[in-house]
Amino acid sequence: MRLLLLLFLSFILASCSKPEPLYNSQSYVFGTLVDITIYGESEAYAHELSSHLMRDFQSLHNRLHAWRPSEISTLNRAFAKGKTPVHIKPDLAAIIKHATAYSLKSDGSFNPSIGGLIRAWGFHHDEFKPIKIDKEKLNSLVKANPHMTDIVIEDGKIYSQNSAVQLDLGGYAKGYALDAAVVFLRKQGIKNALINIGGNIIALGKHGDKAWRVGIQHPRKPNAIATLDLPSGWAIGTSGDYQRYFDLDSKRYCHIINPATGYPVQGIQAVTVLIPPASNAGVLSDVTSKPIFIAKPEERVEAASKVGVENFMVIESSQKIYLSAALAKRITWLDKDAEKHATQY
Amino acid sequence: MTHLTIKTNSEDHHIAKLTALAIGLHMIEAVIPSPLPGVKPGVANIVTLFVLYKYGFATAAWVSLLRVFASSLLLGQFLSPTFVLSLSGALLSLAALFFAQYLPKKYFSAISLSIFAAFAHIAGQLIIVWLWLIPHTGVVYLIPIFVLAALVFGLINGLVAAKLINK
Amino acid sequence: MQLNIKPLLGDWLVIFTGLVAVIFMFQQFWSTELASKLKIRQGSQIIGTYDLNQTRELHIHGAMGDSHISIAQGKVRFKQSPCNNQYCVHQGWLSRAGQVAICIPNQISLQLIGTKSSYDSLNY
Repeated sequence: MRLLLLLFLSFILASCSKPEPLYNSQSYVFGTLVDITIYGESEAYAHELSSHLMRDFQSLHNRLHAWRPSEISTLNRAFAKGKTPVHIKPDLAAIIKHATAYSLKSDGSFNPSIGGLIRAWGFHHDEFKPIKIDKEKLNSLVKANPHMTDIVIEDGKIYSQNSAVQLDLGGYAKGYALDAAVVFLRKQGIKNALINIGGNIIALGKHGDKAWRVGIQHPRKPNAIATLDLPSGWAIGTSGDYQRYFDLDSKRYCHIINPATGYPVQGIQAVTVLIPPASNAGVLSDVTSKPIFIAKPEERVEAASKVGVENFMVIESSQKIYLSAALAKRITWLDKDAEKHATQY
Repeated sequence: MTHLTIKTNSEDHHIAKLTALAIGLHMIEAVIPSPLPGVKPGVANIVTLFVLYKYGFATAAWVSLLRVFASSLLLGQFLSPTFVLSLSGALLSLAALFFAQYLPKKYFSAISLSIFAAFAHIAGQLIIVWLWLIPHTGVVYLIPIFVLAALVFGLINGLVAAKLINK
Repeated sequence: MQLNIKPLLGDWLVIFTGLVAVIFMFQQFWSTELASKLKIRQGSQIIGTYDLNQTRELHIHGAMGDSHISIAQGKVRFKQSPCNNQYCVHQGWLSRAGQVAICIPNQISLQLIGTKSSYDSLNY
């Protein structure tokens, strides 16, 4: 009898004080807001892993920084000087090789060697002010035609055949960090987590017994425009004109620059891509939104397929929204107005 | 002039004493503060069960309802929310006992009946709470507490009643 | 207390079922989410919805008199009430979504509301 009561009480206590084993931590690293959620682990362990990740992110950020002294800036200075090869670490060499592959796949739309242009538009700062548009300077930067294929890597050394090549891995680093984080967490035995680096998200496992669910920021309102489930291993990335931009003469100049014209893309507010599980899902979620953003409206579907993306959405300044059929199946609209303006490819 | 005498026998006396006991227990519980809102051990129900086994359902119902009315009058709570809760609990509790009393005594003792009665009791109270006192989703917050109390006290009261009945 | 009584077979069944019911109820209805807003009702009327992220004292007039309610950065309680049993005051501080404190005699109820977000993280 007493045993029963004890058993009984312990049952109650067990089911009573059962908050969700959900750990969440946010930090400003990587030059942006990073949000790590871990499910199903003790708070202490989750905290330890999360702190480790934050430190890793910060150190990666420092190594790859586009304008502050970093391994990248060292390379850029060397490239600008001439063709003398300089030493490069193997993981950075791999990053550059992969970035080059994506650049080729996107027919040069994704081009992380146009750091010069990005700087010219004033985006190599933490905050952005309207610049005085120097048409000639921009023209000459475009004419210099830097490409990832100008870079040569041999025997652990690197040089560029075009001194205009200035690496800016802004459209790659966050995705790369996501993939690295997943590898790390898996190694630590974590089965369920959600990592958000500056808006780029990758999912591992589930949120208890349901899938992780992400909201997609409305480009102009402070709410989510839609939500969708992110099954394990899937990643989502959005390129938008609402975070890094400046307005000049009632025109918006965002940080997504068309390498062919040298000017920021106009008329598009956001492009979202959804990437299925892959070892480079994170990178793809970062990289592949750019070519779709840059492409002409009639060439978008082709641009997406060139980089292997099936699930994507484009929100134009005209309020029109275009989604691939695959993404349309997965999306749940929160903004009724947006839903009305949405059409499928 | 004819004098009308109501003859009472020892059985009646015994039942009257039990009823008084039930009222007394109910009132003691009423003045002892409980840590949780609206949760009481309900020891007066032990009396109800005892009467059910010894004198049958009708008597038990009588004792139980008399207890509810008398206590509320004595406590000055007649027709108050507390009274309504007490009454609704008692009515549903009795309804449950009415059916549960036919369970085979080989397998089910007063313990089971007590638990059934307790659950029915809180069900009756929750219905009143929902219809009248907290007519919004806030009620669901109370359900787990009430259900737990019903099980715990139903069990304890049932054990005590069973012991007394077997004496 | 319960020395010589052994529950019968059927009794064990009832006890076990009851136990399952109790656990189920807790899991279903007891939220662990912190509340962000407070809804106060007097009788059947909603007096107002208040943000929990503030420090504030409220006096709500009920059937018996004034109940004094305190909001303090994420939690709320009945500080004072004109009722006899003071059950409402003894409830103490509430802070979780779904929690309710009521003063039945004064017909005042405090209900805590959460902000169950419709997503786990925001993509931007």
